[in-house]
Order: sequence, then structure tokens, then C-alpha cells
Amino acid sequence: MTNLPISNIVLATGFILVLIGLWGILTHRNILRIIIGFSLIDTGIHIVIVSIGYVTNGTASIIDRALSPSEAPSRSVDPIPSALVVTAIVIGLAVTAVMLAYAIRLYESKKTLSIDAFTESKW
Amino acid sequence: MRRAFNTLVVALFALLFATIAVTYTEQQTLPQLAASYVKLVPQELGAPNVITGILLTYRGFDTLGEVAVLFMVAAGVGLVLGDSTRRRDAVPAKSEAIVPSTELVRNGAAILFPLISIFAAYIIMNGHLSAGGGFQGGAIIASGVMLLLVANPEYLVDHDFLGVTESLAGVLYVLAGIAGLIFAGGFLDSRMLPLGQFGAFFSAGAIPIISVLLGVKVGCELGVIIDRFRG
Amino acid sequence: MTKLVGSFLVLLGAIFLFSAGLGMLRMPDAFTRIQAGTKASTLGNMLVLIGVAFYHPDWCLKLLIVIYFVLLTNPISSHALGRAAHAIRIPMARATETDALRDARETDRSAS
Repeated sequence: MTNLPISNIVLATGFILVLIGLWGILTHRNILRIIIGFSLIDTGIHIVIVSIGYVTNGTASIIDRALSPSEAPSRSVDPIPSALVVTAIVIGLAVTAVMLAYAIRLYESKKTLSIDAFTESKW
Repeated sequence: MRRAFNTLVVALFALLFATIAVTYTEQQTLPQLAASYVKLVPQELGAPNVITGILLTYRGFDTLGEVAVLFMVAAGVGLVLGDSTRRRDAVPAKSEAIVPSTELVRNGAAILFPLISIFAAYIIMNGHLSAGGGFQGGAIIASGVMLLLVANPEYLVDHDFLGVTESLAGVLYVLAGIAGLIFAGGFLDSRMLPLGQFGAFFSAGAIPIISVLLGVKVGCELGVIIDRFRG
Repeated sequence: MTKLVGSFLVLLGAIFLFSAGLGMLRMPDAFTRIQAGTKASTLGNMLVLIGVAFYHPDWCLKLLIVIYFVLLTNPISSHALGRAAHAIRIPMARATETDALRDARETDRSAS
């Protein structure tokens, strides 16, 4: 099996997700779809961060039967991006919760979910 | 007009991302900091899971900051959605529309909720041995709470109990950090308890205790956030 | 040989998952979308896991437990979603002829 450039493939997947989310934010007028776009950008960036830490032919940095402590520094993947992403996922959930709370309040004030109805902040 | 602008922005970003993705070469060896972490965590902390060792000891201050961010988010959602006068006005108008849950959902929840709780406890306690940890287990606890809310619409989440539990867990986490300052190397150092045997359940110093505190805190917080959306 | 069968099953599962996504986009109203999303994606999920079982035969028991959990939770959640959608009176597609839940509720109410 030839060595697939796994890092590049996963990196491209993450970037494609970010682009889809970005297009969703710019195009849709419904607030809930814009929030889904934000969530997609979040997930895409997490995938990009994790893919940067991949070492060729490496394995997860957990010391068990598959990886002994002596060969760990040469065969494990980078643990730091994974540690960053673990906390980032929970923070992403919390930010989505705040956005949805604002969406609920906005709907109650104007009875519509279209973002064109909220023009007070426009010039 | 707007459509042309959108396509232009997305195309520019696509160009930038394509440049990065194509010219990226995989790493062949670990960078120096990562190699030292992978070597030091089993040696000094006695934890087989390198990532949990990094999160809870070497970068423990970042975890404390994130606990603070989660607390602020829970307070923010409570501020935006938790207006008590609003609840009092809304309830009489919608009291006839609380649809009771069906037998299918109730029985399914009765089967699933114990399994979810056991799974959450397993993931929290296993944070230092295999993949897992406090944050992941807390998110699973919150999903269990959401299942209870869906299956039983009249289930009233006790906000006082959850608030007190969450604050207590946060205070104990900071106290554990100060205890690390007194008994071991520095703030949030987990070597204040004995390291034990590598790979055993009770090992890796204070990491299991900190994992449990984090899991309880995150679970209560996310549960309160989910319950706010019901009003 | 077993790897070939496993790969074919994973491909079939991926086709079903793709059709689930396509169905969610093209269906006319919320109820048909919920049905397309649940049924096709559950089956696609199970086929992918069975295909993986052909690749790693010693993971068979764990994969069976995962399939059991998927079969247990997906229908329950879509049932709850469908009931909630009916309770807040989401408009149905124009081609709908009968609404069994509404008829059953009315006979219950007129009988009690």
C-alpha cells in the first residue's frame, strides 16, 4: 500500500468544511441556518488543527499494548494539537448555545427568523 | 450583486486554503516540545494517556481558563434566557400544549439513561488510562440530562442543586491547584498524591480526582444550559 | 476475499448515507425529511459497521454492541422529533391525504 498523503487529505477536508460553512453564513437569510454555518466552520477548523499534528506512520499518543514507552517519542503523533482540540470542542458547543439563545430572543421580538428584519444596526 | 460578492469571498478563501493544503508536507518526526512531553508524561506523572497529562498538569492553567469560560457562558445563557417574569407570563398560555411523551420514548429513556450514566462515569474515570477525561464525560452527562428532559416533559431540573454542585466543583478544582502549590512542584501539579503503579486504576497522582471534578462541573453546566432552552 | 466483501459493504453503506443526505434536501416537508434522514442513515451506519467487522474479525462483539445502540437510539429520537413537529402543527406537504394522529386524537377527545 503506497503511502497516501493522509495529512493533506484531512487538511483539504477540513478546509472544504470551512468553505461550505462560510458560504452558508454569507448566503442564507434564516438565522438558524447561519448558526449551522458557524458550527460547520468550527468543526472544519478542529479537523484542520488535528491534521497538522500527524506524523507519518504514527499512532495515537496513548501508551498501551500498541505503543511502549521506549518507542513512543519516535512513533506517536503530536499530542499538543489533540489536547487543544479537546477543549475547543466543548467551547464550540457553549458558543453555539449562546448564539441560539440570542436567536430565540430575536425571534420573540420581531416574530420572524429572517435576518433582513433586523436593520437597526445598519448604517 | 450580493451573490457575486459572496462567490468572490469564498473563491478568495478557497485559493488561500488550496495553497496551504497543497504545499503542506507531513511531519516526519515529532517537534522537540512534543517529543519531550511524550517522554516525560509516563515517566514523571505515571499516566499512560499523554493528552490527559498535558491537559491537567503541564497545561493545567489553560484548563482553568476554560473552566472559567464555560462558567461565563452558562451565566450568559442564564441572563439572556432565564427571565423569571417571562416564564410566569408564558406558562398559563401554553399549559394546554405540553404534550406528554409517548410510551416509546419513555421506555427507551428508561433503558438508555442508566447506560449513559455508566458510560459517562467510565469515560471520566478512565481519563488517565485511555482516551477520555473530564470534558468528554461531562458532555455525555449533559446528553443524559437532555434525554430525561425529552422523555419526561414535567421533569423540573433543580437549578439550585446544580448551581451549588457546579460552583463547589469549581472551588474544589482551584483548591486542588493550591494544594499542588503547597505539596508538590507548582500550581495544579498533580504529583501531590503518590504515583502508584503505571497503568493501574488508582495511579497518576491527583489526575483521576481532577478529572472527576472537571466532569461534574462540565456536566452540571451543560445540563443547566440545556434546561434554560425549555422555558 | 473477506476484505473485498468488507469494502463492498462499506461502499454500499456510504451510498445509503449519501442518499439520506440527498433525501433531506429534496423532500417536501418536515415529516418526510425526518423519515428519509432516519431510515437511510441508520441502515448506512449499520452497513458500514458490518463492513468494518469483515476487516477486523476480532472486533465483532464490540461492533455488534455499537450496532445495537444505533438501532436503539435512532428510531426513538426520530419518533420524538416527529411527535414534536406534529404537536406544534407544522404544515404538511400538499400531497398528504390522511393524518392518522389527528384523527385518533379527535376520536379520543369526542369519546371522552
